[in-house]
Amino acid sequence: MSGNLLPAGFQALEPFVEGWAIEGSENRLRRRLQSTPEEREAFFEAAMPLVQPALAQLDKKRLTEFDAAEQRLMNLMLSMAHVAHAVEVQREDEPFHAEGARHITITRSSADSNPGL
Amino acid sequence: MTAEPQRFQPVPREAHADLGTGPIPAQPYYTREYFELEREAIFKRSWLQIGHVCEIPEPGDFLVRPVEVADASILITRDAEGELHAFHNVCTHRGTQLVDASCGKRSRFSCPYHMWTFSNRGDLVSAPDFENFYVDQASCALPRVAVDVCAGQIFINLDKSPRQGLREFLGPLAEQMERLPMARATAISEYVYEVDANWKLTYDNFQENYHLRFIHPRSGEMAGGPQNPFGYPERYAFHGPHRTQTIWSNPDARPLPFQLLAFTKVAQFAMQDQLDMQIRDYFGVFPNLFVLGTATTHFSQSIMPIAENRTRSVIRLYWIGEDDCASRRFAREFNMTTALDIHSEDRAVIEAGHRGLASGALSHIHFQSQEVLCRHLFNEVDRRVQDYRAELAAAGGVQ
Ligand code: FES
Ligand SMILES: [Fe+2]
Repeated sequence: MSGNLLPAGFQALEPFVEGWAIEGSENRLRRRLQSTPEEREAFFEAAMPLVQPALAQLDKKRLTEFDAAEQRLMNLMLSMAHVAHAVEVQREDEPFHAEGARHITITRSSADSNPGL
Repeated sequence: MTAEPQRFQPVPREAHADLGTGPIPAQPYYTREYFELEREAIFKRSWLQIGHVCEIPEPGDFLVRPVEVADASILITRDAEGELHAFHNVCTHRGTQLVDASCGKRSRFSCPYHMWTFSNRGDLVSAPDFENFYVDQASCALPRVAVDVCAGQIFINLDKSPRQGLREFLGPLAEQMERLPMARATAISEYVYEVDANWKLTYDNFQENYHLRFIHPRSGEMAGGPQNPFGYPERYAFHGPHRTQTIWSNPDARPLPFQLLAFTKVAQFAMQDQLDMQIRDYFGVFPNLFVLGTATTHFSQSIMPIAENRTRSVIRLYWIGEDDCASRRFAREFNMTTALDIHSEDRAVIEAGHRGLASGALSHIHFQSQEVLCRHLFNEVDRRVQDYRAELAAAGGVQ
């Protein structure tokens, strides 16, 4: 992997870019529901300590001015907002939970809109 | 263990016994016959929430929304003066459905069949070869539907002459809901799901906390605590056909690490936006809408009946302003996924409830005192259905 998939300081998350740097809230939900427990746990473990630093760094820029690396980091953080429920809250109940969630479609999301200004 | 806030006092068992304590007939929750009566007695006569003003902000914007329970499609427009209009989405020539799109910007609507063209104020503005007809143009306007706005929500009424205006219908809820963030929301996140269950069973699932510890043992871990193991609300109140409850907030809630991080962001933005952190009210708006008004979990759920055994839920979270930074975008995504997790857990048990009842095995079901909102919904529905039956009988129709 090239070292430029993510902003400096977040290389530890590069192995997760392919699987979890996903555009679109509905796509992130589907990814959570199709993932294995191992995939979810590995991503969560690696990303949890980096959530605060990543958001702090991304907050310095406007959403419209993100470069590709920053956009990937943003999408990783948004995926965490899905996956954390599975890893931290649902735990071994995630398969049962996913049964119900499969019937839900995210039809609109604030994260999918273009930020104003 | 210092300065504990007031201990939880459950609503006394007899507090709302005036709404009844007896068993409730089961058939209204699954039979087609009852559902057909509800269509006429309730959904074709009540104010129904159909959208939010932020979806139709500019002159020329329009929305089209299905209302399956009334076999209707409703066109909502905003004219050049900024005024809202609602019409049946039906061409007055021979009834063809006029607009296919679900939203957009257009000040003229042309019927695909013979090109009758209507303005966004409903007037027929042109029709090819109109001289060959035997009617005058002014009488060919789109069939108008009553429309009004409260707390940012657009409501329609399919009754040709509604018995009450929207404000009068909402009573004290109008003013209370105007104070909620949704009243000034500019953006929405939304998710949708359908269940094989009656609309009242769907609604009732969100009107009682009795099930929380069993159906949401993990996601609802923070809902109950030693003082209040079921996480019952602090208060119930009734306002005509509507009902409210005040959510109890658990002083012993212990969020998990990621939850704490994300909740902290959610709360920071709520405070930054000067949302009222004290509001902990749930508003059950008759017949099929409820709103959770807390600053940090602010959503509405529209419970759209499709058939006696099929219901669509549309859940909307309300935002003031666009995402302006990464943390806000993250906090909103987390808000949405938190609510979505809870909804996904309820789904199976709502359907199981319908399957059980539809077997016809039970003549009655039971509501405890902490399920009084469910009882109130039934009372309000059933009174209208019985009144409608009486109306039919008086008119000499079948009863
Ligand atoms: S039915 Fe619409 S123009 Fe004929
Ligand atoms: Fe529930």
